[in-house]
Amino acid sequence: MDRHVSVPLYVGAFFLSLAIFLIGIYIGSLIDQSNLDQISGDILVATEKVKSINLLLLAEGNSTSFCPVYLSEISSVESDVEKMGHKLTYLEEEKDIYDTELKKEYFILEAESYLLSKKAKTLCDDKSVLLLYFYSNTNCSICYDQGIDVLKARDNILTGEKFIKIYSFDGTIGSPVAEALMAEFNVTGYPTIIIDNVKYEGRLNTAEIYEIFQNHSNSQAN
Amino acid sequence: MDAVSILNYIIAFFSLFVVSVFLLLFLKYRNTYLQKPKQTGWKPLVSVIMPAYNEGVYIADSIKSVLASDYPKDKLDIIIVDDGSTDNTYEIAKTFEKENPVRVFKKENGGKGAALNFGIEKAKGELTATMDADSYLTKDTLKELIPYFTDLEVMAVTPAVKIKQTTSWISEFQRIEYLMILFSRKLLSFIDCVPVTPGPFSMFRTGVLTKVGGFDEHNLVEDQEIALRIQANNYKIKSSMSASVYTEPPSTMWDLLRQRVRWQRGGVRNYWKYRFLIKPEYGDFGVYFIPLNFATLTAFFVVLGLLLYSLLSTPYYVRYIWFDVFGLGMDLFTFVAGFVIITSLAFLYLSVKSFKNECIKLRYMITFIFFYWYLMVGYNVLFLIKELRKDSFSW
Repeated sequence: MDRHVSVPLYVGAFFLSLAIFLIGIYIGSLIDQSNLDQISGDILVATEKVKSINLLLLAEGNSTSFCPVYLSEISSVESDVEKMGHKLTYLEEEKDIYDTELKKEYFILEAESYLLSKKAKTLCDDKSVLLLYFYSNTNCSICYDQGIDVLKARDNILTGEKFIKIYSFDGTIGSPVAEALMAEFNVTGYPTIIIDNVKYEGRLNTAEIYEIFQNHSNSQAN
Repeated sequence: MDAVSILNYIIAFFSLFVVSVFLLLFLKYRNTYLQKPKQTGWKPLVSVIMPAYNEGVYIADSIKSVLASDYPKDKLDIIIVDDGSTDNTYEIAKTFEKENPVRVFKKENGGKGAALNFGIEKAKGELTATMDADSYLTKDTLKELIPYFTDLEVMAVTPAVKIKQTTSWISEFQRIEYLMILFSRKLLSFIDCVPVTPGPFSMFRTGVLTKVGGFDEHNLVEDQEIALRIQANNYKIKSSMSASVYTEPPSTMWDLLRQRVRWQRGGVRNYWKYRFLIKPEYGDFGVYFIPLNFATLTAFFVVLGLLLYSLLSTPYYVRYIWFDVFGLGMDLFTFVAGFVIITSLAFLYLSVKSFKNECIKLRYMITFIFFYWYLMVGYNVLFLIKELRKDSFSW
């Protein structure tokens, strides 16, 4: 028999594939934008919650009678804030999607949440350990692993109640809030961890962070 | 862009391309793919060679199904080749010799290929059909196949090999798979890319079988090897959707895996043996089909590797946002995978709908793709292990 190559079939299949591929890329970009919009919306909602807690604090002065409400509200906000942080990290690390302005908004929310927790610690005798983690996505090759070690150490020490609160800040994206906190603790390099106002510079592994947490827990118990 | 992303893009585009070829073929032949050649009244002598090894349970029904064909008995030449059975296969076959166009031979065990070649030597028909001793024809099978040979370029015709409806889920999944294979083989026949003349039943011009040298006696999938040899000799193989043949499927998962590993090992070796066909002179078969087989196998292992990699490299923090990751992770690849899955489901539906008498329960249709993915993982991994260990070749 006479054989032939069905060139039109393969050319057609190529262009059909290309068309579907391009539609896929376009839809993918729409989904990415929608994910960023979703996080942006979540930040707005959480910011409103923070404002409400702040209003309550202002209204009640230094009264401790509302402490259960403060602590519960702060805990709820922080849980949301942490999730948003992970989502932003996922988009950056896994999909190479960076939105600096959104990140800055997120850092403002995180800083507000940190300040609220700090206030609650004093006012309500809250035993939470506050951990500030300063990193850089651009000039710190060990920062990603350091961030994971901080999480692992926090998860290792969980004993029924989450009492270590982590606030991460990228010091190199031009966030005024991050820069202000860095100035407060005189942070000059990455990674740097501040645990209840004590500064630890350079890489700490999970076991070392865990040990610091243990010491904090013991000293707070005493 | 890193190597993993590049691989993902290549696999995504490759999958789309393969699906698109089938899609375009279907669109082009959607109105004609079920058409069959006109009956001409031509009734040549047909030799049916049935090699049998320990098929005492099935062989009587198989022979009866051929004898019950709507075809003149004096135009039938049934050759039973007992390949050194140790059960009563020979004795059962012998009972059919009297008053029927059946000849029974016994030889030392030498494998299916050798038994078929033994039968070809004895064949008197202008057309020769090869048939497994655990397969059954319908009344019309021969009548439906023979008209294809009025086209003098056609040297072999494959029927619609199916599995009877059962209550066993493993058989039902194989039924669906067989229907999908039939549907895709029909589409491939339009670009002269039929890669196999199925062992359960296939029909050839006797002269061609002799001319190409008969069956390879040392091949795990001799029914594929003979088809590749026919293709290499530029003969045409056609595929019928209306000539039904029923066969007994492996009944346990382990038997099914063993069968598929054998098909895969034999198949890959055969394609490697016939890699010289990768030339434009061999048309679509050389330019598209043979490379497609190597590319598909490579792509399968790349996909498996990428899935394993993505599972093992899942970042620690993802545990806090498991459910959100489904939304966050959606991208081009999700879209492509979705398109491929939906197209496959549409093909699955069309495959089943193409055979009006075949009724498949919805639950089997829905779960088939998942079952098939795990089956593929199973036999391909076993295939790779056996090849790497250089395990011996046996049935």
